[in-house]
Amino acid sequence: MKNVIYVFMMVVFVGFSTNQASAQKKGNEVVYFKSSMDCGNCEKTITEYVKFEKGVKELKVDHVSNTIRIEYKKGKNSEEGLAKAIEKKGYTAKKITHDQYEKIIAETSDNEHEHGNEVHKERK
Amino acid sequence: MKNYILYLLLLFPILSNSQTLKGEVFGNDDTGKQPLPGVNIFWQGTNDGVASKGDGTFEITKSSSQQILVFSFVGYEQKVVHINNLKPIEVTLEPNLQIEEVTVIKKNRGAYLSVINPIQSEKITGAELHKAACCNLAESFETNPSVDVSYSDAVTGAKQIRLLGLEGTYSLLQIENMPNLRGLATTFGLTYIPGPWLESIQVSKGAASVLNGYDAIAGQINAELKKPDSDEKLFLNTYANSHGRFEFNGNTNIRIIDKKLTTGIFVHASNLSKITDDNGDGFLDTPLTKQFQLQNRWKYNNQKGHTVQAGINILFEDRLGGQTGFERGMNPSLSNPYGINIKTNRIDAFFKTGYVFPNARTAIALLSNISYHETNSFYGLTDFDADETRFYGSAVLTRDLDVAGIHSLNTGFSFVYDDFNENLYWNNILRTEKVPGIFAEYTLKPSENLTLMTGIRADFHNMFGTFITPRMHFRYKMGEHVTLRTSAGKGYRTANVLSENIYLLANSRPLLWQDDVMQEKAWNYGITLVQHYTLLDRDLQLNAEYYRTDFQTQLIVDRETSADNIIFAPLDGKSYANSLQFDIRWQPVKRLDMLLAYRINDVKQTIGGKLLEKPLTSRYKGLINFNYTTNLKKWMFDYTVQFNGGGRIPDYNVSNISKEFSPYTIMNAQVTKYFRYWNVYLGAENLTNFKQDNPIEGADNPFGSQFDAINVWGPINGIKIYLGLRFKLDYKE
Repeated sequence: MKNVIYVFMMVVFVGFSTNQASAQKKGNEVVYFKSSMDCGNCEKTITEYVKFEKGVKELKVDHVSNTIRIEYKKGKNSEEGLAKAIEKKGYTAKKITHDQYEKIIAETSDNEHEHGNEVHKERK
Repeated sequence: MKNYILYLLLLFPILSNSQTLKGEVFGNDDTGKQPLPGVNIFWQGTNDGVASKGDGTFEITKSSSQQILVFSFVGYEQKVVHINNLKPIEVTLEPNLQIEEVTVIKKNRGAYLSVINPIQSEKITGAELHKAACCNLAESFETNPSVDVSYSDAVTGAKQIRLLGLEGTYSLLQIENMPNLRGLATTFGLTYIPGPWLESIQVSKGAASVLNGYDAIAGQINAELKKPDSDEKLFLNTYANSHGRFEFNGNTNIRIIDKKLTTGIFVHASNLSKITDDNGDGFLDTPLTKQFQLQNRWKYNNQKGHTVQAGINILFEDRLGGQTGFERGMNPSLSNPYGINIKTNRIDAFFKTGYVFPNARTAIALLSNISYHETNSFYGLTDFDADETRFYGSAVLTRDLDVAGIHSLNTGFSFVYDDFNENLYWNNILRTEKVPGIFAEYTLKPSENLTLMTGIRADFHNMFGTFITPRMHFRYKMGEHVTLRTSAGKGYRTANVLSENIYLLANSRPLLWQDDVMQEKAWNYGITLVQHYTLLDRDLQLNAEYYRTDFQTQLIVDRETSADNIIFAPLDGKSYANSLQFDIRWQPVKRLDMLLAYRINDVKQTIGGKLLEKPLTSRYKGLINFNYTTNLKKWMFDYTVQFNGGGRIPDYNVSNISKEFSPYTIMNAQVTKYFRYWNVYLGAENLTNFKQDNPIEGADNPFGSQFDAINVWGPINGIKIYLGLRFKLDYKE
């Protein structure tokens, strides 16, 4: 049983050292969209589809604020390509700036704090 | 111009008298909020209502006089919402008591322990089932700390499970909340449920609810199959492994009328035709097996609280084991090699329906299944032919006794019919069990933190007379982090002496029995403590549990007091099982799930006048499981190690010295790569290539008196590499 404890200790140690999550990675581009989702399921549909688009590294789809944040590898894909993918699933994809995105997120989390964060943390 | 029309359309509902309110309903359980389909939503005091859709959304018309909207769903607390305007709303329902009929919603997490259910239970979801992808229900527990799976013997390929250190027969095995795979299906039943057909599995330990019957001494295992109204349109799976097993699974869901009337068709075909004898004992390590299954099931859901489900399943299986020289079509004879052949035909059908009254305080459910099972087999020179016809029916009325749902009552009646026709050693054994029963279960839930559930049932058995089954469960959430549960209950079981132990024919000593059927009785007590903390921003779950089972009557399989026979005799003395288990679940690194578990089994029974350790049972089990997914879940990695303790080998000898087996370790690993519509998985079982030495005694002379293939405690197969492919197409919402 000693082995188990060793493994556990090791794992805990690794846990400490890699806990700091990095934000945007080098060589990646980020694009923000405003979309037209009206249900939680749309969120799933878009996520499951767009995550397999070329070069996609990070993805955050939120139906409450109706926003999509995509981080992708530079040169592997384009803003137009990603917008097309979203539109292919039947939703709009209107490009917005980082500031606009942050503003929308801040607004929605104020209004709908009952929902927002909690749910989407779980889905990630 | 287009915009004008849009504006008009937008204005229109506001101008008219009845307007549409949109929203979404969530259920809040221990893994967070999930969209909740099928929720009854109606205006208070009226019958105007709708049900939420598959994704939890709903639309309801609102007239100006209607302001109070009621949300109700079986298994959740009713919620009343005041509606002042037409802004889309989001409603979250809190779980009530877990009634067995609660809709299962897929979770992202693989396996978790419930804190709400008053019965200690563990759920293995679709995600967990992806971790150990081969092949059927028996193998779905590889990554589970509570259930042990082992071979029954060295020749038939039969697998058995153990819960709390006790054989699978002491756990109630259910498919979709109805008892199944019992009697004749006990020995091979776990291989009758293809893994890719499974939606989820629930394992609960200790006494179960009386609603499910008087069985379930050690616990209950419920397998939920995929539902025809799920989003899955088409699913295909192929699988091959290094031992020569090929498998195909497929299912498709057809929406006849939207999601109201749906049907699902399921196919399974598998074949193992490669002769493998790695240990060189002249016997096949794995029997040559062909299996074919076809299922068709239907679901009707009027979205207003009424559902009907029905289905039919057929199965054909042929197993051929024994010496490698034995071929299909050979007769059992001394001049041929030793062979084992088991042919099975089985047909199964079920019907269930449920109705939730508009006030949402009352629900009725009707569950029934019927099966016909036919086996033609021989083990060496011994023939065993049998058939069984089984019916199970149960009607349950669920009622909240007050508006707040503090008191609720489940009552109902059930009927079991079980007809056997067994032929062994020139005996033709006919027997019919008929058991009508009644039951009631009262649940007190004065607050979120406390649940007390007491149940009692009376059954009127045509052979064993009337007997009473009391059961009790208590759950108390102490503060934020700690949940305590206790349970106590009596359980009964009909031991079908031959059908359930027929694999014991794989030895030279004939079976000897006094009665071909007997009733086993036991008490089970349990106490569990689940703790939830946050460590380094991630959930840490600690679980400690202790269960004790005390047998009053039991069928004892005595393999060690006679040189001439394997003896089936009623217990004369003590028999008990203690099980103590600890597990830790945590994510040490983002997206890396870790599970550490350790269990001590102390199982003793009186065999031939002596209190002995139950043979072939490991004294402990340790489990480590790591599951890592890359960001966005494009890759998944799994690694499992099982540490199995040593135990006693039953052996007839004059010197009275017990033989022992040593502890051993098993390691499995798997990699899965996900693509948009399909995924591929590559894995290996038993990476350390550990095998039991000489699983078959007297293998060189299988018709001689030393032949014994039933003392199996470890793996017979060495390392096994497998590769599989899944393809999945969903319906668009």
